Amino acid sequence: MGRYLLEVREIHTFIGQFHILQGVSLAVPEGSITAVLGRNGAGKTTTLKSVLGLTPPRRGRVLLAGQEVQGRPAYEIAAMGVGYVPEHRAIFTDLTVAENLRIAERRRGDLERRADFIFGLFPDLKRLYRLPGGHLSGGQQQMLAIARALVPDNRLLLIDEPSEGLAPILIQQLMEAIRRLSERVTVVLVEQNFQMASQLADRYVIIDDGRSVRSGPMAELLEDEATVRRYLGAVV
Amino acid sequence: MGKRSRAAIASIVLALVLVGLAYAGFGATKTASVFLSGLTLAALYFLLAAGLSLIFGLMDVLNFAHGTLFMIGAYAGYSTFGNPRLLLNTLPLFLTLLAGGMVGAVAGRPLRAWERTVRRRRAGEGQDEGGRQGLPAILVRLPPSLILALLAVGVLLWGVRGFPLGRLVAFEATATGGAIPTAEAQEPLSRMLLRLVLMALAGLLAGPALVRGRERRGVWGEVALAVGIALAGLLLLLARDPLEGFLLGLSVDLRFLLALIAGAAVGGLLGALMERTLIRPFYGNPITQIVLTLGLMFVGTELVKAVWGREGHPPMTVPSLFAESCRSETFLAWLTEHCSSIGVLGRAFPTYRLFIIFVGGVILVGVGLLLQYSRLGMIIRAGVQDSEMVEALGINVRRVFTLVFGLGSALAALGGVVAAPFVGVYPEMGGIFQLQAFIAVVIGGMGSYAGTAVGALLLGLARAFGDALVTSGIALPWAEQALRASPAVARASTVLIMAIVLLVRPAGIFGRKE
Repeated sequence: MGRYLLEVREIHTFIGQFHILQGVSLAVPEGSITAVLGRNGAGKTTTLKSVLGLTPPRRGRVLLAGQEVQGRPAYEIAAMGVGYVPEHRAIFTDLTVAENLRIAERRRGDLERRADFIFGLFPDLKRLYRLPGGHLSGGQQQMLAIARALVPDNRLLLIDEPSEGLAPILIQQLMEAIRRLSERVTVVLVEQNFQMASQLADRYVIIDDGRSVRSGPMAELLEDEATVRRYLGAVV
Repeated sequence: MGKRSRAAIASIVLALVLVGLAYAGFGATKTASVFLSGLTLAALYFLLAAGLSLIFGLMDVLNFAHGTLFMIGAYAGYSTFGNPRLLLNTLPLFLTLLAGGMVGAVAGRPLRAWERTVRRRRAGEGQDEGGRQGLPAILVRLPPSLILALLAVGVLLWGVRGFPLGRLVAFEATATGGAIPTAEAQEPLSRMLLRLVLMALAGLLAGPALVRGRERRGVWGEVALAVGIALAGLLLLLARDPLEGFLLGLSVDLRFLLALIAGAAVGGLLGALMERTLIRPFYGNPITQIVLTLGLMFVGTELVKAVWGREGHPPMTVPSLFAESCRSETFLAWLTEHCSSIGVLGRAFPTYRLFIIFVGGVILVGVGLLLQYSRLGMIIRAGVQDSEMVEALGINVRRVFTLVFGLGSALAALGGVVAAPFVGVYPEMGGIFQLQAFIAVVIGGMGSYAGTAVGALLLGLARAFGDALVTSGIALPWAEQALRASPAVARASTVLIMAIVLLVRPAGIFGRKE
């Protein structure tokens, strides 16, 4: 115990009548980047949402710093220090960049306290501060979504498909930013782009058909070509 | 230029064309007063539509009971103004019921804890197929809770049996501040005290069954608050006679202000309660919501008829600012003369209607500022787009839902009180205004605040010009005889505007395609 910031034990999640997660477990050590890998529709996004309580698991346990959180409302789990960067960069397009950041404050002045760090990572956002979020490009929106999760004092960041639909040069920038922010917060990263995931993450878990089937240090996965080909259809 | 600002300009141009057309036909004098009448209606439509639009935008709920809240607000304000006895005799009952419920909820904590363990054990065995809020959870909860709830209903009915409601609301003449019900019309104090005890008991029984949610305060904090509320109810009852004399002795203006506050408060509390208890379980289930709010509309209307009678009441007395029976020629003169009408280009216009326009404007700007510059407003705007993401940021979005529902309902109820001196109060007023408010929301673009304001404006003007077409006809420059429409045209005018707008922009003026 203890050494894991997040532990998920055998969770089962239903969406409507569909049994989406049928036993997912993962253990995320403090300070690591853990990649959640798997094919489309394997249940990666649902895993993140189940951790946060947006799609509460019906069975199994979710432990955050050793504390059971499953069944609690999502806002309570988030307020325990979990930041969420959903897929399709769900920023608020009608709100300005400033408001998108401000709304994530949990205490007055969070944004001011973190401003140097955030604008150090994403200098563009400072320039775009007064613009509506909807006017930003895809890459800028992704950066805003990550920045928003960094405003409050989060210990854990759940990032869903950050590279989706971005140009290679932007992906490079984004990877650099995630690497830098991971010095401060623990990251769980859902990623289709195996190249990106393998370069960033120190650990991995593979989800296949709603079950976690393999996990361990990323270095081991890179040696294990058969597993990669079998579950990810990618080449090392 | 964005699509939306083009839409705004187009609608302003449309409004100007209408006014210009009317000007050509009616002449300046009539146009001005028709225009002001339109603004009056627009202000009332807006007070209803603002809440509808906020509630739809944030929660995707089409609240068909919104007009009912408007009507209940009107009645509550009317009673506060003309017959505080009704409120003084019924409020203590509600307060003790609430206090009993709070104590019951605290006392029921062990029961709920036990139910939770049972549920968790079942969940561990994988039998709980319904999820957190699904059916089996209710089934687990039901047996002890059901018995308590039935007992509570029994005690409640016992408590209100024989309550002399009919005598309390017999206040036809008091609307003008005159006749006051006689002392015999009131329930004797001893019987009222018995009723209070029964109410507290009913609340105590219902508490464990109905109250859910998380335990924020400690046991003693909760009990202390409940005792405070019960004491407030008791004091209100003991002081009912002097209080009534005091309230009726106040000036008309103060009583009007109290009526505004009381009406809005009743509407807001009812709306928040409705969201918390009835609508919350059905988010994401639009059919059920529509059936539910439609049902509430009928229930609310019938309840009002049961309490206040089927017949309407004549318009409420206007505050002294608008009461002198004379006609001021200028706005400045009115400020000192307080006449009931004012000359607009030589034609009399009731000054109270200017007040309605003023209230509409104040609310438009106030809520607009709240949305644009407060943290709550920011959360609302974000939630309109993606409430799940707002929750994922650590914000209790359900509480925001309750708040917005309460706020929207309070605005509607305020509209009802403001309308009472203009149109009087009658059980059907809710439905009539609600229909127009719905049209305004649709024209403006579902969930858009600015759109709702523009929609209400267009509708109000259309209706006023439609009415003018019927009453006096319009002299068109190219026609020899004045064009005169049938009354049906006036009623159809608002729907006509909706049809035109939706043909050009199916998502409404400020709406965006899904």
